[in-house]
Amino acid sequence: MGKDKPIVKDIDRSMYDFVKKEDDAYRTEEGLTPEIVLEISKEKNDPEWMRDFRLHSLEEYNRLKLPDWGPSIDGLDMDNIVTYVRPNAKRMVKDWNEVPEDIKDTFERLGIPQAERASLAGVGAQYDSELVYHNVKDEAAEQGVIYTDIESALRGEYADMIRSHFMKLVPPTDHKFAALHGAVWSGGSFVYVPKGVHLDFPLQSYFRLNAKGAGQFEHTLIIVDEGAYLHFIEGCSAPKYNVANLHAGCVELYVGRNATLRYSTIENWSKNMYNLNTKRAVVDEGGKIEWISGSFGSHVSYLYPMSILKGRGARAEFTGVTFAGHGQNLDTGCKMVHSAPDTSSYVSTRSISKDGGISTFRSSVVINKNAKNSKSSVSCQSLMLDDISRSDTIPAMDIRTADADVGHEAKIGRISDDAVFYLMSRGLTEEDARALIVSGFADNVGKELPLEYAVEMNNLIRLEMKGANG
Amino acid sequence: MSEKEEIRLNRLPAITWYWLNMNESEITSEPCDGEAEVSVSVPDGVTESRVRLSENKEVEDLSTQPTGAGAAFSKIFDTAGTEARLYTVPAGLKADKPLKLQFAFADGKNSLDQVALDVQKNAELTLVMDYASDEAASGAAAVQTKFRLGENAVLRIVQITHVGSDFSFVNDMGGKTADNARVEVIQLNLEGQKVYQGYQIDLAGYKSSLKTDIAYRLKGTENLDMNYFANHTGRKTTCDINVSGVLRDTSSKVLRATIDLKKGAKGAVGNEKEDVLLMDEGVRNRTIPLILCTEEDVEGNHGATIGRLDESLMFYLASRGLNREEIYEMMAAARMEAVAAKIPDEETRADVEKYIGTVSED
Repeated sequence: MGKDKPIVKDIDRSMYDFVKKEDDAYRTEEGLTPEIVLEISKEKNDPEWMRDFRLHSLEEYNRLKLPDWGPSIDGLDMDNIVTYVRPNAKRMVKDWNEVPEDIKDTFERLGIPQAERASLAGVGAQYDSELVYHNVKDEAAEQGVIYTDIESALRGEYADMIRSHFMKLVPPTDHKFAALHGAVWSGGSFVYVPKGVHLDFPLQSYFRLNAKGAGQFEHTLIIVDEGAYLHFIEGCSAPKYNVANLHAGCVELYVGRNATLRYSTIENWSKNMYNLNTKRAVVDEGGKIEWISGSFGSHVSYLYPMSILKGRGARAEFTGVTFAGHGQNLDTGCKMVHSAPDTSSYVSTRSISKDGGISTFRSSVVINKNAKNSKSSVSCQSLMLDDISRSDTIPAMDIRTADADVGHEAKIGRISDDAVFYLMSRGLTEEDARALIVSGFADNVGKELPLEYAVEMNNLIRLEMKGANG
Repeated sequence: MSEKEEIRLNRLPAITWYWLNMNESEITSEPCDGEAEVSVSVPDGVTESRVRLSENKEVEDLSTQPTGAGAAFSKIFDTAGTEARLYTVPAGLKADKPLKLQFAFADGKNSLDQVALDVQKNAELTLVMDYASDEAASGAAAVQTKFRLGENAVLRIVQITHVGSDFSFVNDMGGKTADNARVEVIQLNLEGQKVYQGYQIDLAGYKSSLKTDIAYRLKGTENLDMNYFANHTGRKTTCDINVSGVLRDTSSKVLRATIDLKKGAKGAVGNEKEDVLLMDEGVRNRTIPLILCTEEDVEGNHGATIGRLDESLMFYLASRGLNREEIYEMMAAARMEAVAAKIPDEETRADVEKYIGTVSED
């Protein structure tokens, strides 16, 4: 085996890192004040309860402290963040041709309309603070599937449904950035899949933040009714600026009795982004939530999707990969709460750290007293690709009943010389062997994604290995 | 300590969500009544002296040696002006008998004791620390043990805790290893209403190693709060932390176990393993095993199994005529016995086995 040590290059972000002229129609002042919140509320034509909700959330935001247990967010100054940017486009349209040219070009470069034609049942595209395009295919609509922007739903026939679910799973009191979201949220999707409907093709929402120094605060609310099935895909990206951008979205998922929801995310924010996102699902009897999560972008991430298993026999799976490169501090993981008998959770994650990147796997499994006969299994593996990076695992387990089985395993290491040796004995070069091992390491997520997205992910991870003096 | 004070201890080296209440613990420090009654048996060649660590130039480094309980807790000893029992094992001495320290904590008293060990180059020592009080004793005690190991030195520490049903006890430890030094820690928790224990061991020397075996059996409303921190800074250092226990009734435990593979610790390997048997409905088990890593050429592993006894094993044993209670008791005793069997001192081992009730009838 040669002495040369391969270098893993950074992720190729060129397809995401292009800037469009900031030709927005309207934006608030930088900072966060009651006046700005009221301005957003007026701009969104909120019902009264929502306006009050925003103001209450702002109070919570001012009351709550910044977290001191995760990556530093000192570089994020809310006084410099624009919380609402309305792009220069008509309010959400269903005809792709009505989307303004530069915005259309953005999403075409990201492959969104092509994906819709090829493999999706519906698409939502958000540009800065507003959805600019939303469409659901006839086949899905005919089955009664609702896929629309959340603001329309807030005022239309689903108003009561939105009001009874909005930020009930993630209340503004949850943490500082949930409160921030409650105050300034804008855009996002509402999905309702009726009882017994099995949607064969996924729905996708794509979030693009183009404005420099802005925040994006979209809200996603999905209700999958009894016995239904949905695969929802979320994608996000932004061009890189030399100032901080902020993403503090919120995802609330309600999985009904015997229903299944697969929620896939390929997160590729630019490396000036503070990604302080909150995702939470509650699962009824016999239901299942499947999280597929790829975290590749952001300067700092706090991301821990939570599954609350509240119905007998409810299940949760979390499959994730995190790739932290130069200048990135990605604190990711998940939370599992078992609150009913016969529930089960399964966690499988991979973390890769390189070129000074910091990757932290953080998780919790709580098995409450009433969750008899529950099972949980957590497996987290981390790969260090050099000695200037950092990789931590911080998994917590709180078991409050004797009638439970919990297993946990964690492993941190580097690429095994034995594995490289074996592959070389089968005819691969050392570089190819190492590249293959690194790609295979992240395959737990890739194999769970539809083919087109797995290919995208593999492109995203395009790890270029080359011999170098090591 | 002259007044009551809330003190935080057993803090994780890297904290997590506060709502889990696992980052650290808090105790109320009572005014100190002095030291516990200690009966000491010192092997030939080992010297004993009383020193204030911060005032003795020769062992000054021990005064700043971090421990599992943490800096805020260590301050209690400084404030109280505690004199440590310093045991020096001269270079090359392989003590033929164990150093035995038997602590008898008095009912209703609050004691503070500090033990320091200077195990010099090529020396070997087995230290047995027995912590006991009357069964119904109340009060509080804290014993802090600090050590430094010279090159190739070996230190085996055995700590047995059986304190009263209304007693709060802190068993704190911190130490540092030189090249090729070896530390072996055995802790058995037999009784104790509220017990806090842990260590920070700095594996600084090349190829130095740490092996830890811990077993506990908790019942009633007993609570065991642990914080173990293996700090790898030396190359090719190794640690193995094995924790095994049984929870009965409404007892509870927290295990914080951290392997920190620091930059420069090339070739280091850290392993943690935990096995917890939950026997009754009211128990609560909390576990947070951390692996922190800033070095590429290392390996860190953790595995935990928490829960009931395996159903197929239950079925097999039941088919052999044992009832559920007998099976559980047998499994609990087996876990304790597995660790007790590793005690290097025969006399101590026999005492512990008798206590556990697992002495073979033949």
